[in-house]
Amino acid sequence: MLINRKTFLKQTAFAGAGLLASPLIGSGFAAENKEFYNLTILHTNDVHSRLDPFPMDGSKNSGLGGIAARATIIEQIRKEAEHVLLLDAGDIFQGTPFFNIYKGEPEIKAMSMMGYDAGTMGNHDFDGGIENFATQLKHASFPILLCNYDFTNTALENKTVPYKIFQKGNLKVGVFGIGIELKGLVPQNLYGNTIYKNPIECANTTADFLKRHGCHLIICLSHLGDRYDDNKISDEVLAKENYDIDLIIGGHTHRFFTEPKKYVNKKGGDTLVNQVGWAGLQLGRLDYSISKTNIKKSIKPNTVLIRGKS
Amino acid sequence: MRPVFKLTVFLLICCFGAIAQQNTVSYNGYPIDGNIKKDSTINAFLAKYRDSVSKTMNNVIGFSVSGMSKHQPESGLGNFMTDALKNIGEKIFNQKIDAAFVNFGGVRSYIPKGNITVGSIFEIMPFDNLLILQKVRGDSLISFLNHIAERNGWPLSGITMGIKEKKAVNVMIGDKPINADSVYTIANSDYVANGGDNTTMLKVFPKINKGVLIRDVLIDYVKLLTEKGNSIDVKTEKRIEYVN
Repeated sequence: MLINRKTFLKQTAFAGAGLLASPLIGSGFAAENKEFYNLTILHTNDVHSRLDPFPMDGSKNSGLGGIAARATIIEQIRKEAEHVLLLDAGDIFQGTPFFNIYKGEPEIKAMSMMGYDAGTMGNHDFDGGIENFATQLKHASFPILLCNYDFTNTALENKTVPYKIFQKGNLKVGVFGIGIELKGLVPQNLYGNTIYKNPIECANTTADFLKRHGCHLIICLSHLGDRYDDNKISDEVLAKENYDIDLIIGGHTHRFFTEPKKYVNKKGGDTLVNQVGWAGLQLGRLDYSISKTNIKKSIKPNTVLIRGKS
Repeated sequence: MRPVFKLTVFLLICCFGAIAQQNTVSYNGYPIDGNIKKDSTINAFLAKYRDSVSKTMNNVIGFSVSGMSKHQPESGLGNFMTDALKNIGEKIFNQKIDAAFVNFGGVRSYIPKGNITVGSIFEIMPFDNLLILQKVRGDSLISFLNHIAERNGWPLSGITMGIKEKKAVNVMIGDKPINADSVYTIANSDYVANGGDNTTMLKVFPKINKGVLIRDVLIDYVKLLTEKGNSIDVKTEKRIEYVN
């Protein structure tokens, strides 16, 4: 009895001290705590065929970007972090002569080599025509996720999937993709018979499905654009109009966020939106610590505290 | 033992009750710059593509004796670019184009003396703008030309005009005075056709789009002139000038 109580005190005191001390060492807090599952999300958007750094021509981005440097950072983080997902929010193609000449082959091959887990399509990914994207996808070792384009009777029929569920340790992560309205943005002859469906409805249906299939974290790869001055559907609109999305990784508007934006969704939970500009000038990183207690009683919507720079 | 126990209970409540239940996220945006070591596998993979990209960029497609640069209200470079849009555009769309335009701000560089490479064309037109045709009424075209006059002249082909007190005057299109009630077929970049550079008067007209890049049109025009044995030296010819 006495021994048991002593052991109990020792253990609880240790656990308590650990919890108190940890915030002092910043993000190390979560990593060393057994109460949390950890997941590191790395992301890019609108890389636009920028495989090599910008040329040294005196312009403001001279020497910046480039996938060889990005690959080094990704590898470093993979060595340190427990579980990593590497994601892209579209517009992989168009913007440098690489694309004009090779039509996206080196872009897709390099993303496969870097171990991308999933991507979605941006409007410029149709630039070589829908047949070309289907051709280049043969080089992809990662899925293209889209839940609101109907590709029936196009070259991309059955070549993309709406979502993918990733098991990362004990954490089940659902990732899905949504694309922007193509009419007026992309010449019709390039997207062919693709039918664009309402992204909010499709996102909510897909996220609900993922939730009911036990996903602890639901991520949306979006090429809608972060926000507009008119009522155009955007990540901001989706963030407010959804029920189960934890994170929207955005693109299209080429905005560099200084930190993720937090919105309250329809369930009263938190939906974050993040975007890292364009051209691979930045690699985004989000380190999630998901409470095991929260997961056990998963009735409540997810809320999240933005802790600051990792 | 008693105080320790109390402290433990306090710690349990405060830590597990408040902090432990909260999901957290921290963030970072890693700038990708020249100080980061390049991954050797990726770098080697890119090398073969890079080599042939530079080969393509260095591919000589024409020759310019005097070189061409941008000026307002008119320049050889601007005339070359808009002539390309008009001539190659007529072949691509298989119809007559009455006038072609390039917004002055969209001309990003110059054509040097000597060899013209594919890379030279990428320099003057780095944007992936598309060639767009629109059938516009004369009165809207006049308002577009006034916009051009107000901005001290943009490159144009198929039209001659004067600029007087920031207005377009003496406008001739296809050797005839412009008619406010006629419909004209004009070529622009998708940027301008969509109302870029405040060209809102063009926005309402339907856009005919074949997904052709303006850069490719320029390259094709250089090749065409070269095949005909011409150097790429387009002159100014008073298409647009200030008048009193």
